Amino acid sequence: MAEARKSMIKFKPKKFKVGDTIKVDFIVIHPMDTGLKKDKKTGEVKPAHFIDSITFSLDGKPFTTMKVWETVSTNPYFSVNLKVPGKGKITVDYTDNTGEKNSKSKKLKPKG
Amino acid sequence: MKKVLLACAFLSTMAMLQLNAGEQFAMSDADRAMYKEMLENNPAEIYVEEGGEIFEETLGGEEALAKFLGVSEKDLPKYIAGFPRYIKKLGNVVGLDQVMQAMQVEQGKEKTKLKSGKMFSMLAYVKSLANDELINIDVEADEHIKASYALGKTTYMTARGGRGLACNSCHSADIVGQVLRTQPLPDLGEVAVAGTWPAYRMTKSSLRTPQRRFQGCMKNALLKVIPIGSKEMIALEVYVATLAKAKNKKIAIPGLKR
Amino acid sequence: MKRRNFLKGICAVSAVAVTAPSALLAKEAPKGENALTYDAAVSAITGGKAVADSDKVKLTVPEIAENGAVVPVKVHVESPMTDAEHVKAIHVLSTKNGNARCADVMLTPLNGKGYFATRVKLGGTQDVVALVEMSDGSFLRAAKPVKVTIGGCG
Repeated sequence: MAEARKSMIKFKPKKFKVGDTIKVDFIVIHPMDTGLKKDKKTGEVKPAHFIDSITFSLDGKPFTTMKVWETVSTNPYFSVNLKVPGKGKITVDYTDNTGEKNSKSKKLKPKG
Repeated sequence: MKKVLLACAFLSTMAMLQLNAGEQFAMSDADRAMYKEMLENNPAEIYVEEGGEIFEETLGGEEALAKFLGVSEKDLPKYIAGFPRYIKKLGNVVGLDQVMQAMQVEQGKEKTKLKSGKMFSMLAYVKSLANDELINIDVEADEHIKASYALGKTTYMTARGGRGLACNSCHSADIVGQVLRTQPLPDLGEVAVAGTWPAYRMTKSSLRTPQRRFQGCMKNALLKVIPIGSKEMIALEVYVATLAKAKNKKIAIPGLKR
Repeated sequence: MKRRNFLKGICAVSAVAVTAPSALLAKEAPKGENALTYDAAVSAITGGKAVADSDKVKLTVPEIAENGAVVPVKVHVESPMTDAEHVKAIHVLSTKNGNARCADVMLTPLNGKGYFATRVKLGGTQDVVALVEMSDGSFLRAAKPVKVTIGGCG
């Protein structure tokens, strides 16, 4: 298996209460190759390699799913909202067109 | 000369038409706000985080850096905001990346190449420790930094290469703002090159350091590229840092650029 | 004039053009369900159902994209996001990319807001479209043009 992909989950604002609607941002390092460009060094066409599906879950229960295409930018960013129901763990599971699966989690810690 | 002129007659005409039309390509306030927001989700932050992990685990982090430089951890951010500096231990005016290499040597570790993703990430992390500090480079501090500043200014002003261009040819006060290839030429102090690079470059989809950006510009201007970490490159960084300092710019790493 | 000669010189020198992702505007017929042109993509999503342009869909994109490879897109749909009434899905499309589809985002009431943001590639000047499916099965739309500039030095 390839080394784990680098990614980041951010909550905005950083401090929030139960009942607040916050932004959940997910940034990931991924080439999102379209399959239409040539490698400058080898002259070969770089095969399509892009994230094609993402699931955002709270304590294992999905609350947002996405289907993604190669037309999304390299090292992409995805942002949705979440109405904070309480303490928990946010997990972002994502797969790409080669079948590679990855996951990133972050604890949801509302104050009060 | 004629062939080349013919080849880009169209481009030249376009450029000349836009000689004083910087405004037409100036960003609208709404667009500017959108791009500013992108800074909050900068992919470079992931590289900065990674650089931090490597820096902590393999070099001993801020504690080790402060000790190596002979400053307190509390003063470290302000000290970082004054780089490049003359470091007596190293006998040269150096950048933070060279300081880290020296630390590796001191710790008996393998030196990370200056021109490597690993070093770019570490450099970005260490520089980000000084975020929000004013750029405070002191080019009068000692004879070495004075000499580096003089060399940097000369390098910036010297016309060279097939087209007889200097950095100043495009970035001097009276040229700045004019449009070249659809982009208004920037004032390097105003855009705080010294404060906002390393940055994520959208056109390269990666973290780029200021020296690499200078190299990219030199390539385009048909100037012989100056090597990373060389005396002249450091000197250029010193000179460009004073431009940002003069405009009271702060460190804000990582930046986000076209 | 010193300036004009200098600029001519620069242009001659700028041999390295910043390539826009123009391959994205592939004119040949796309293949498979993953490369639908705009009209085909809209059909696939709506099943031919009527789509209404709506003020409730706020689409934010730059007027001029500094770089076609990284164009920020923000969609916000006014909705109470309750079980009874919420945004089911936000589809982000472009009108001229060979593959018109960028992302399909399936939301739930737990999102709290009908909001999605991302960054997309545009092969050239075209419209970005937010096609929204509501929980009652209706489709809303907002579209905005984005000018993609190619240029810059270095």
